[in-house]
Amino acid sequence: MKQQHKLRVAIILLVGFQLLILFAGFFAPYSSTAQDRRSPFAPPTPLHFFDAQGEFHARPFVYGLKIDPGNYGAYRIDSTQRYPIHFFTASASYKVAGLFTAHTHLFSVEEPGRILLLGSDGYGRDQLSRFLYGGQLSLLAGLIAATLSVGVGIIMGGLAGFYGGWLDNLLMRGAELLLALPWLYLLFAVRAALPLQVTQSQVFLMLVVVLGLVGWARPARLIRGVVLTAKERNFVLAARGFGASDHYLFFRHVLPQTSGVVLTQIALLIPQFVLAEVTLTFLGLGVGEPLASWGSLLSSLQQYAVLSSYWWMLLPALLLVPVFLSYYLAADALQERFKSVSL
Amino acid sequence: MKYIRRRLAYAALLLAAISFLSFVLLQLAPGDYFDALRMNPQISAQTIAGIRSEYGLDRSLAVRYGHWLLSVLKGEFGYSIAYNTSVGTLLWVRSRNTLLLAGAATTLAWLLAIPIGAWSAKNRGTWGDRACGVATSTLLTTPDILVFLILLFLAVRTGWFPAGGMVSLGAGQLDGWGQVQDVALHLFLPCMGLALTITPALIRHVRSAMIEVLESPFVRAARGHGIASTRVLFRYAFPVAANPLISLLGFSIATMLSASVLVEVMLSWPGLGPLLVEAIFARDLYVVMSVVMMSSVFLVVGNLVADLLLFANDPRIRVE
Amino acid sequence: MIGSTHALLRTKNLKKNHLQRHPVTNAKFAVQAFAEVNMTIHAGTTLALVGESGAGKSSLARCLALLERPDKGEIWFEGLELLSLERKALLPIRGQIQIIFQNPTSALNPRLSAAEIIAEPLLIQGRGTKAQQRARALELMDQVGLPPGWKSRTPLEFSGGQRQRLAIARALVLDPILLILDEALSSLDLANQEMILKLLTDLQALHGLTYLHISHDLRLVSQFAEEVAVMHQGRIVEHADVATIFAEPKHPYTQELLMAMPTLQSICQERFA
Repeated sequence: MKQQHKLRVAIILLVGFQLLILFAGFFAPYSSTAQDRRSPFAPPTPLHFFDAQGEFHARPFVYGLKIDPGNYGAYRIDSTQRYPIHFFTASASYKVAGLFTAHTHLFSVEEPGRILLLGSDGYGRDQLSRFLYGGQLSLLAGLIAATLSVGVGIIMGGLAGFYGGWLDNLLMRGAELLLALPWLYLLFAVRAALPLQVTQSQVFLMLVVVLGLVGWARPARLIRGVVLTAKERNFVLAARGFGASDHYLFFRHVLPQTSGVVLTQIALLIPQFVLAEVTLTFLGLGVGEPLASWGSLLSSLQQYAVLSSYWWMLLPALLLVPVFLSYYLAADALQERFKSVSL
Repeated sequence: MKYIRRRLAYAALLLAAISFLSFVLLQLAPGDYFDALRMNPQISAQTIAGIRSEYGLDRSLAVRYGHWLLSVLKGEFGYSIAYNTSVGTLLWVRSRNTLLLAGAATTLAWLLAIPIGAWSAKNRGTWGDRACGVATSTLLTTPDILVFLILLFLAVRTGWFPAGGMVSLGAGQLDGWGQVQDVALHLFLPCMGLALTITPALIRHVRSAMIEVLESPFVRAARGHGIASTRVLFRYAFPVAANPLISLLGFSIATMLSASVLVEVMLSWPGLGPLLVEAIFARDLYVVMSVVMMSSVFLVVGNLVADLLLFANDPRIRVE
Repeated sequence: MIGSTHALLRTKNLKKNHLQRHPVTNAKFAVQAFAEVNMTIHAGTTLALVGESGAGKSSLARCLALLERPDKGEIWFEGLELLSLERKALLPIRGQIQIIFQNPTSALNPRLSAAEIIAEPLLIQGRGTKAQQRARALELMDQVGLPPGWKSRTPLEFSGGQRQRLAIARALVLDPILLILDEALSSLDLANQEMILKLLTDLQALHGLTYLHISHDLRLVSQFAEEVAVMHQGRIVEHADVATIFAEPKHPYTQELLMAMPTLQSICQERFA
């Protein structure tokens, strides 16, 4: 793929996904916690344009769901109940980015019909809505942790590369120490150090802070490399010849040179940290019920019964792939773009 | 020789630092195993204090660390209060299982990566190579958890492979060979899953390393002399391409260790992973700390081995 | 003429060693860059410093431009000993001694615009308002022959010769007295060399500049120098006016250098006769 196109496509995808998840309230027909005990583990609802009589309806609709008395846990489609899909309906309110409240939903059906595009879980909660809301948590965790990591990395790598000497040695030995630890084990260990019963927001905060503090080693090394070469550049020397202070040189000339590495690292670390959060929550050590995160969506799959009978529970995991793909694509494109700018 | 000694000293220092770090980290943990006991009104505070001093939990940090380090060096990792057995025995069995899994997975991964990567490099630009590229890219963007879930799903649906554990019920009654087969059958899925986490990256690196070497002057000279293609590939190109790959070995060990936690828990392979998770829930912090130390040891040793292999392979480093 | 003009810069016994590490054993050892350098640059003239690569010329240049510190010795400039001055006192002097590097591309920050690059010294030294700085930048672009309309372009959009002009404009912005040209023409093709040479000559006449021209190209030196100092293995072995150096070289090394320089006549004789 051509270079400019690649970056453009990646950014469009990224922004698209972020918007989708940011406005989860709009795109999701239900809230992430709305249970419906009448339809636990319901399969994805098929959409129809033609009804049982063969008539065409421009507006797609779904059928009602009835419990199949013959098959335990299975459902039968009740074609006598038709629920057309309405778009831009006003129903349950939600908050956008925790700032302002809105009512409009992209699509919904009238009660007691249910539109479960990805099926429902054991409590009858709509998986699609949970996926979108869960994304808010997981992606936010990844974003904050990645920014923190790279931020600390800039400080450490910048100091080490710019001043060299014993500071450089100290910081880089520290980084090597951190890199020598298998990071997931370390994450678990720190999680272990925290009491088991803490509030959700505390767990989230701890998670993010720990990831950020553990993950600075690799970005710091890369940034240090860039700083080392940058500070030897002749234009830095020239500016020094005009009497520029270290402070000026670092912020005006050296730091901007790291922008390529910084952006690429953020793009690469976000999916990595999102996965860390997902893994922790999946194993029950991260954010817990009733908060939805991508990890909690998948945690029920640890039960044999769920895995063997309810295939749609895997769908949220599959949906992770395009999201991560957009990040990796962006990182790739950024790397190529910045390689061509540096001399 | 100096190089080897330097690497060994460095590794030892690293391990000491890690041990201290994990020890300190866990001492910071608020609450411990006895929280549950404390809530029980029938157990007096004195009893708890008694148990604590029996386990030596009431001394100062430095003293505890010193004692712990000494005993570790003697091979005793302390006592697991939750499992009621010595941590050492626990660690030994679980480490053995994890090493078996990791070793098998690494072997499988490299056995796949080298031929595929070399073939890709040789047939660069053809449809096969491009298809391979697409496959590796897809696998790379797929999160580990999804790969494992799919494998688990297939196991459950097809029933070809057992979906968990290391041995079947009643395996003790099989003969030696039968037992080996049983373990191998159980090993297949986690091994496959773990191998898949690093194989695509390996394939890519092998491919690019081989391409670089195949374009270099000395290989072209060999071809120009009329030496057969395959011979060129294996006796000329590969030993040189092996250099960056050996460094990669060290790195792949790190990734694999982290990924093994998840695969072991999900596929119920009795290794260090499930032990760690259970210990966290039980707040058995000595076990947690020992597991972290153990895995760090594996990592450091693995990197050391990779460094030594590099040393053995690269004549340039030996010339000092 | 030597002696009749005022000595602008004088060095006394300058010495510098570089510390390097052995590539494999990592042991440190010292390599001498230059030693016992006693050099005088006369105001308003062009002094050429010649010698083969690695003779320590660039190192000396950087020390004179106050970018590196020599290990021993003194540098006297306008009655002040520069190496003993405090950072604050040195600031105005820095503007008076400027250096042009060999590779103009690496000397310019690719992310800044031409106007920003030229005005940077003013920004660093805090002189003038933003508007004044911009005006000065445009004025200098005009002086070095760059179209002022290009003020927003980045260095990558300039050709090699134009980048060197940009670097010269930046060096002029603080009204320097001494300009050190560290192989400033070596990376340019012949056509550009001629043009930049002409520009430098014009600027020298216009501003009364003194040049220290470091070069390994004797042909250039013969065109563009009044005095020549020859450097060999870190020491100045001969220093005379340009006519004497070319006609009656005294030191054996100078004679070697001159003999290695092919003239068009000798080339024609060798190849085509």
